[in-house]
Amino acid sequence: MPSFLEITLGIIQALMLMALSPLMTGIMRKTKAKTQKRMGAGIFQPYYDMVKLMRKDEVVSDQSSWIFRSTPWVNFAAIGTAAFFIPVFLSYSPFGLVGDLLLVVGLFGLARFFTMLAGLDTSSAFGGIGSSREMMVSTLLEPALFLAIFVVALTYGGTNLSTLVEGASNSSLLPHPQLIFAAIAMFVVILGETGRLPFGNHATHLELTMMHEAMVLEYSGKSLALIDWAQSIKQVILFSLIVNIFTPWGIASSVSAISLGLGLVIFIVKISVFAIFVAFLESSIAKWRLFRIPDLITVAIASSLVGLVLYYL
Amino acid sequence: MNPLILDNHIGKILSNFSNQIKKIDNKNNEIYIHLKDVNDTQIICNHVYENLNTKLATIICTDEQKTDNGFVIRYVFEKLDADIFIFIIISLEKNNCFPSIVSHVPAAATYEREIKDMFGLVPIGNPDLRPLVLHEHWPNDMFPLRKEFDLKTKVIRQEQEYPFLQVEGDGICEIPVGPVHAGIIEPGHFRFSVLGENIINLETRLFYTHKGIEKLAESMKLDEALLLSERISGDESVANSTAYCQAIEKISQITIPNKAKKIRTIFGELERAYNHIGTLGGISTDAGFAFGAARLHILKERLMQLNESLSGSRILFGVNKIGGVKCDISEGKKKLILERIDEVLSDFDKVIVMLKSKSSFMDRLKDTGIIQKKTAHDLGIVGIAARCVGIDVDTRYDHPYANYVVHNHRTPQQVMQSKIEMEKRSGDVLARFEVRINEVHDSFKIIRESLDLDTGGLFADVPVEITPYGSALGYAESHRGQTLHWVMMGEKNSIFRYKIRTASFCNWKIIEHAVLNDIVPDFPLVNKSLDLSYSGNDL
Repeated sequence: MPSFLEITLGIIQALMLMALSPLMTGIMRKTKAKTQKRMGAGIFQPYYDMVKLMRKDEVVSDQSSWIFRSTPWVNFAAIGTAAFFIPVFLSYSPFGLVGDLLLVVGLFGLARFFTMLAGLDTSSAFGGIGSSREMMVSTLLEPALFLAIFVVALTYGGTNLSTLVEGASNSSLLPHPQLIFAAIAMFVVILGETGRLPFGNHATHLELTMMHEAMVLEYSGKSLALIDWAQSIKQVILFSLIVNIFTPWGIASSVSAISLGLGLVIFIVKISVFAIFVAFLESSIAKWRLFRIPDLITVAIASSLVGLVLYYL
Repeated sequence: MNPLILDNHIGKILSNFSNQIKKIDNKNNEIYIHLKDVNDTQIICNHVYENLNTKLATIICTDEQKTDNGFVIRYVFEKLDADIFIFIIISLEKNNCFPSIVSHVPAAATYEREIKDMFGLVPIGNPDLRPLVLHEHWPNDMFPLRKEFDLKTKVIRQEQEYPFLQVEGDGICEIPVGPVHAGIIEPGHFRFSVLGENIINLETRLFYTHKGIEKLAESMKLDEALLLSERISGDESVANSTAYCQAIEKISQITIPNKAKKIRTIFGELERAYNHIGTLGGISTDAGFAFGAARLHILKERLMQLNESLSGSRILFGVNKIGGVKCDISEGKKKLILERIDEVLSDFDKVIVMLKSKSSFMDRLKDTGIIQKKTAHDLGIVGIAARCVGIDVDTRYDHPYANYVVHNHRTPQQVMQSKIEMEKRSGDVLARFEVRINEVHDSFKIIRESLDLDTGGLFADVPVEITPYGSALGYAESHRGQTLHWVMMGEKNSIFRYKIRTASFCNWKIIEHAVLNDIVPDFPLVNKSLDLSYSGNDL
């Protein structure tokens, strides 16, 4: 049974992820602006945007049902819950007792399911297009993600996130070459899950090319703020997973002020570096043709399979 | 124009149809064939279209009831192998319908619908008689280009629905897009019928920014109408005003000074260059490659700043004047132009090399938005959209104006090479991308060659009174393609009729065909690669 201190730390970790998530979005936007020789908005802009949206009125289509209205909350609740299972600066989360990595993926699935329903619910053509594209991509992304998870789980002996991250921080990558392949797969999946290029383009104004944005095109005001926030929390969760599982150096494994402080600083640096790297990558490629995206996911699946084979060798 | 060639053509037409023709005469590079009977229109138009190697340039309708001619319709055919325009002229006396030529000349369809909306004359035999220019809120019995329609009339809104084409079948969905778009662009409605992501049919509905330019011009003085012509579509101001000025110069038989010719050429090419670079940047944006777009937009901005320091306007307003140009290029400015275009060109080449080495970018362009040569020919497509399938039409060389006659000299070997080059072009977005790159290079080359300006005045004097009811066709090649301006003078230097046909009016039709093998998310890319103007189309 985790101690009171551990539970407090667990809650702090989750709240920190939620608080930090818009900052990551801001850093990525700033990086992209810089690579395109623009000034760009400040890195705190996503917070201001959220505050602005919270104050605004909402417009809800009279063609929509309760699904449309409840989706932002379901979305936020599911992804917010997932945040509690993620080890951030401490190598374990006290809530790991009730859920593992598979539950996190399941919660993401729930959020996505409702977003897709909401896209269809408004009976606007764009929502429908967005949902159908999201379905196509997600049915391919999920097996790829599971395969990558299996490779990691087999290596460290469990799907519990605390087990994984502790296992990772106590061993080196070198004896486990399969992890490199799992990391490649995981990276591709993360780009897909967060709708980054070459899968989707967050910056686009073209309704016809959107995927995630098309599904939530009808949202405004508070609902939009919630959806945007949930989306950036999801992004930060995925980033911390890849960062903590594959580069766990510096994470605190014991509860002491120094190691916790160090763990926090190192985590923020690592995740920012990762975010900047993704933003650079986004600047250097064009969006792929919609029907070539499965090819990219195939690469992820193949890479995980190679990882699996290497594990058994 | 060599009068012998002209006579030869007139002879050919006369020998076949001497019975049907009331009168035939010519002026400048225009042949006018007046028909005796309206019902012969089809036969003669077919003959000209099919046997004389021409394409339909435009159809002009005028309301000449005051001079007892009734409504007059001029079918303008452009010879593809010589600098000649053939006008077939019919007048409808007290008759509100005319025979449609759509069955043989498909490009006529939209012109006939336009005439139906604006003059209330019905093209008998045109299968599509839905309104085009005036939307369903406009009353059915008001025709704005008739002389009896007063410019200040207040029109009462009426309710009607526009019958879009319905595609039916299992799994077919409709996606209505626009007229208000998510980006900051002009309004236009696109109705997609899709099966999954595949586009089965696309119907465009435009003219949301109809401004009544042609009607407005009829109340204007010649100089005011020049300002109007610059504002038809802001980014083609030089091409449109050049075409307008040429029409007036042709009517009043003015020859403009050589210096003015060269300056018109230089500004025309500057306009082409900055717009092509902007469109290339737009293609990059729509392919989701923001970095390439940013680099190209920086170059566009540098050229627009050059425009401002030369003419005082970033988009080159106020360059042209009837009889010449307003804007001189001094020695200092020449140096500035040379420096700036060298600098832009070297950066441009680097960006293009970078873009062409991005497989993710090039893959988006290749085989997307393919235009068929036959379709392009039938619909009378102009500009880049035609050249990207290997139809070699370019007003600068087909009907040389300004100083282009100098740049048209090619050795037989070069002619052969360009023919082979044309045959290779495949009509996809990539082909349009490459044609634009080549044209940017050509533009800079022409600018450099035109900079040795002659001494002398900037403009010739315009006669105080221009003969009433004289008319002429002015034309120029904008970055979108050929723009045609036909002006008929009225009494006391007023404009009787100003008919404008921009490249966008011809080319909007092709987009419905170009997207048929594509999926929905590729539409913006196809659209951008064609670079069509809403404002230039809607007039």
